[in-house]
Amino acid sequence: MSRRVEKATLALCFAVALSVQLAAGKKPKHEPSAAGMEERKRALHVLNRLAFGPRPGDLERIRAVGVDKWIDQQLHPEKIEDHALESRLAPFRTLRMETREIVQNFPPPQVIKAVAEGKRPLPSDPAQRAVYKAQLERYEENQERKQEAANTDPPSTQTDSKDKLSDEKLARRREDRLYADLKAEQMLDLPPDQRMKEILRMSPEDQHVLATSLKGDKRQEFMEGMDPKQRETIMALEHPQQVVADELLQSKLLRAIYSERQLDEVMTDFWFNHFNVFIGKGADRYLLTSYERDVIRPHALGKFEDLLVATAQSPAMLFYLDNWLSVGPDSDFANGIRRPSGYARHPRYRRPAAQQGKGKRGGLNENYGRELMELHTLGVNGGYTQKDVTEVARVFTGWTLKQPKQGGGFTFEERMHEPGEKIVLGHRIRPNGEKEGLAVLHLLAHHPSTAKFICTKLALRFFSDNPPPALVDKMARTFLKKDGDIREVLATLFYSPEFWSPDAYRAKVKTPLEFVVSAARASGAEIEDALPLARQLQALGMPLYGMQPPTGYSVKSDAWVNSSALLGRMNFALSLTAGKMKGVQVDPDRFIAASNTPPDAQATLALLETVLLAGDVSKQTHDTIAAQLEDPKISQRKLEDARRAPNVSLIAGLLLGSPEFQRR
Amino acid sequence: MSITRRVFLRNSALAVVGTSAIPSFLTRAALGAAEAGTRNQRLVVIFQRGAADGLNIVVPHGEQAYYAMRPGINIPRSSVLDLDGLFGLHPALESLQPIWKQRQLAIVHAAGSPDPTRSHFDAQDFMESGTPGLKATDDGWLNRSLHSLPIESNQSVFRAIALGASLPRILCGREPAVAISSINDFGVGGRSPDAAPLANTFEAMYANSVDSVLHGTGQETFEAVRMLKSADPAKYKPAPGANYPRGRFGDSLKQLAQLMKANLGVQVAFADIGGWDHHVNEGNTQGQLANVLREFGQSLSAFWTDLGDLGEETVVVTMSEFGRTARENGNRGTDHGHANAMFVMGGPVKGGKVYGRWPGLEQSQLHEGRDLALTTDFRRVVGEIVFSHLKNRSLETVFPSFDSDPGKFLHLLA
Repeated sequence: MSRRVEKATLALCFAVALSVQLAAGKKPKHEPSAAGMEERKRALHVLNRLAFGPRPGDLERIRAVGVDKWIDQQLHPEKIEDHALESRLAPFRTLRMETREIVQNFPPPQVIKAVAEGKRPLPSDPAQRAVYKAQLERYEENQERKQEAANTDPPSTQTDSKDKLSDEKLARRREDRLYADLKAEQMLDLPPDQRMKEILRMSPEDQHVLATSLKGDKRQEFMEGMDPKQRETIMALEHPQQVVADELLQSKLLRAIYSERQLDEVMTDFWFNHFNVFIGKGADRYLLTSYERDVIRPHALGKFEDLLVATAQSPAMLFYLDNWLSVGPDSDFANGIRRPSGYARHPRYRRPAAQQGKGKRGGLNENYGRELMELHTLGVNGGYTQKDVTEVARVFTGWTLKQPKQGGGFTFEERMHEPGEKIVLGHRIRPNGEKEGLAVLHLLAHHPSTAKFICTKLALRFFSDNPPPALVDKMARTFLKKDGDIREVLATLFYSPEFWSPDAYRAKVKTPLEFVVSAARASGAEIEDALPLARQLQALGMPLYGMQPPTGYSVKSDAWVNSSALLGRMNFALSLTAGKMKGVQVDPDRFIAASNTPPDAQATLALLETVLLAGDVSKQTHDTIAAQLEDPKISQRKLEDARRAPNVSLIAGLLLGSPEFQRR
Repeated sequence: MSITRRVFLRNSALAVVGTSAIPSFLTRAALGAAEAGTRNQRLVVIFQRGAADGLNIVVPHGEQAYYAMRPGINIPRSSVLDLDGLFGLHPALESLQPIWKQRQLAIVHAAGSPDPTRSHFDAQDFMESGTPGLKATDDGWLNRSLHSLPIESNQSVFRAIALGASLPRILCGREPAVAISSINDFGVGGRSPDAAPLANTFEAMYANSVDSVLHGTGQETFEAVRMLKSADPAKYKPAPGANYPRGRFGDSLKQLAQLMKANLGVQVAFADIGGWDHHVNEGNTQGQLANVLREFGQSLSAFWTDLGDLGEETVVVTMSEFGRTARENGNRGTDHGHANAMFVMGGPVKGGKVYGRWPGLEQSQLHEGRDLALTTDFRRVVGEIVFSHLKNRSLETVFPSFDSDPGKFLHLLA
C-alpha cells in the first residue's frame, strides 16, 4: 500500500544524510577514534547493539532525537508505533491464532490419523475440509505403502520390492502430474475466487496432486490475487504444518528487519534463545507460535520471574524438555490408584507402557529439572548438585499438558505429583501441590547465581565477549535490588561508562542472524518473501528455531568465525546486493540515484561506504576495494562507459562481505 | 612459519591451476609429490552429541542386571549381534559387523570422561578440550595433537578439518584448521565469470585486515579455497559398495573421504552426529535410538569401504559426552549417566575385541548408584592413537595434567 511512499522517503533520507555529510566536507573516517565515542559513533553503537544495525537514514534520525532519548524510547517499546510492520505481518493468519485453532486449521499427522480412525470429525468449513481430505489421501497412501512393505518380509530385499511395486504407480503418478499441470494452467485464466472454488470442487486425490505439482514461481503465480486464507489453503493442501512454521519464520525476519521496536525484537530473540525450544520436536512444530507471542515477547523487558514461570508453564517447554511426562514415583498415578469415575486418564499412559518396574506407571524425568538450573537460572556452576536436580524434578511432577496433540494447554495434575517434602538448594519445600513449583521458581529467580548468570549473558550479547566482572556485578546488583526487572538491568548496562568505552565499539562479531538481518537493513532491502533469508541462515549454521539442544546458540564470536561461515557470508553479501535472492529486492543503484554522485567508481565506493558502513571503514578495506576498482575486470561491463555508474551492486557486496561489516 | 606455508601453497596451487585437462591421477601425483615427506597417518574423530546410550549400543547381554534395569527398552538376547558372549551390538549396527569380523573394529566399554558433570554442554566441552574439569583451557586436544609433530614447510591447510558449518572446540587452537560444510559451495561467487577477481578482493581485504579474529580465519579460508579448486575432490565418487545413507552425517563422511582421496594432506578430521538424547521412548530393537544408530553404523561402514587402501593408514575413533542411566526412566527413555562405549576402527587397529575393564551392573557397581561406572579414561584411548599412530611423543602437551604413561595403553593398535 504505502510501499512506494516508503521508498521515496527512504531515498530522501539518503539525499539529506548525504548532503549533510558532503556539505560538512566529511570524508569517511579511516583512523579509529581516540578516547570516548563521538556522537555519530554513539548513534551507530546503539543501532548495532540495541537494534539489528542501521537502516539508511537511521543514524540521522537517532541523532535528531538524541541517543539517550532513543535508548529510553527503545526501553519502552509499547509506546512506539509499529504500523508498517503490522501491515507486513497482516497476511500471516497463524500469528494471531490460538494453538487449538492452529491445530484445527493446519492439522498435524496425529489429527489426520484421528480423523482416519473416525475419532474426530471432518471440519465443516470447505477450505479446511479440503486440507483434511488431501492429508487423509496422503495418510492412506502411506498406510498402503507400509502395508506393502510389511508384506514383503526379508528386510534386505525390501528396497528392491519397493521399487518394483512403485514402478506402475510411478507411471500413473507421472500421468496425474501432467494432467495436474495442464489443469493448473487452465485455472490460471480464472479469477482468483473462481480458481479457489474450482479447487475445492476437485476430488481430494486431484487436490493433492495439484498441490504437490505447484512449486516455486508457479505456485506464486497460482496464488496471485488470492486472499491470505486462500493462499494458506493452497499451501496447506501439500503440507499444513509447513504453513505454520513458514509464517513464524517470516515473522521473525520481518520483525527483525522492519520493526521500530528494535530492542524488543533483540530481547525477544535473546530470551527465545535462552529458553530455547526446538521446532523439530513433535508438538513443538505448532506450539512455537504461541510460545514466542504469549510467553517470551510479553516478558522480554519485564520481570525475570514472570518470564521464568511463563516458560515453565508453557506447552512448548513442557513438551520440549519432557516434563509433561514426568510422574512422581510415589504418586497415585504411578501406584495405579484410580480417580473417581468420569476422570479421563492421561492419554499418554493408555498404552501398555505400564508394565515396567514393579507394576508402576511412569516415573521421574530429570530433563527439565536439570536444564532449569543449568541453562535457565543458576548456570552450571551456580551451586546445585545431582540431588537438587532430582528434587526439582520431583517438585515439578504433575506440571503437565492437557491433550498436547490437540493443542491443549498447561495443567497441574495432582495424581502425577510426587507427595512429600522436597529439599532444593537447602531449602525445605513443604508439600503444596502446584505451589511447590512456583516456590522453587521464585527461589531460583532471585538467587544470586541467577542474577550473575543472566547478567553475564546479557553483557555477552550487548557488550563484548569478555565483559569486565565489575560491569556484570553492577548489573547483577540491579537485578537483585529491582526484583529481576530486565528493563532496569539493561538500563544499568546502557548507561554505564563501560558501555561507551572505545573498546566496546564494534567489539562483537555478528551472529549469522545479526549479519543477515543487518545486511538486509543496511541495503534497504524490500522483502516480499523472507524464506530465502531463512534458508541462508540454515546454510550459515543458524537455522531459526532450529537449535536442537536446549543450550541455544552461542552468543560469543568464536562459534561463528570459521572458513565455511566466512565464505557463506561473502557469498550471501554478493547475491543479496546483486538482487539474486528471490523475494528480496535490493537496489543499490538507487543510493547513487538519490545522491548527485558522479558516475565514477571511487565516488561510488565512498558513497556506499557511507550508506552501508556509516562511513566507518578501515583504510585497508577501503584501499583494497579502491585498488580493485581500477581493475576493469571487477566491473568490466560498465566501467568502459564513462557515463554509466560502475557496478554498484558488486561494490556493495564487497562492503557487506568486508571484515568491518562482520562486526557490530 | 605461516609465510612459508603460504608461499608453498601459492606455488603448488599455481602449478596445478588450469590443469583440468590433465588426467586426474597426474594432478593427484603432482600434489602428492609436492607433499612428499608429509606423513600419511590420519585420525578421524567422531562425536555423538547428546549422550548416546552406550548400554543399548554395545549391549552387555550377558548381564542379568541389564535386563532387570531396562524392562521396557532392553535389546533381547535373541536380537543382539553377539561379539564375545558378554557383549553384543545393537541389531541396527549390522553394517559394522563385517568390520568387526575383519578385526578392524574394536570397542572400549565403560570409557569416557571422568568428570562427573551431567551437563551436555560442559561434558562435550571437556571431552573436546581434553581437560575434564578445567574450563580455562582455550584450545582443543585434536588441535594440540598436531603441536609437537615436526613442522614441515609444506603443511596443508587441510591438515586439520571439521565437516560442518562451524569449527568445533576440539579443533580450536594454534594450528590452522578449516571448517567445511560442503565441498561444492566452498568458494566465493560460485561459477560466475566475476568470481575470480571478487575472491581476490575479499582475500586481500581479509589478508590486510587488522581485525585479529577475522584476519587469520580469512587467510586460512582462501588458502583452502585455492587448494580445493586445484585438487577438485568432488570428482572422487564413492567407491563401489560405499553406500552412504541420507543425512548430514553420511554427507560429512562422504565428503571427508573425497578430501582424503584428493590427497589434500588431511591429517586429523572431525565430524559429528546429533540426536542421541532420548529421555522419552528410546525404543529397543526399533525406535529412535535404532534409527540414529542405523545412520551412524551405515555411514561409518560406507566410509570404511570408500577409503579402500587409505584405510590402512587411518584410525577412526568415536565418543559421546557421557552415557545414560543404567535404568530406564519413567518414560521408557534414559536420563543422563556416566560411562559409555567407544568405537575404534582402522588399519592399525587390533579389532574384534572389547577392551577395557567391565565394572558390572550390580547396584553396588554402579556410579552414584545409577550409572555405568567409568574404568577407562577417554584420554587413555585417544592418547594411544595420538602417540602410536600420529607418532606424537609429547602427550603431556596434548593432555596436560593427565598421566599418559604409554605403559598404561590398552594396546589397541598394532
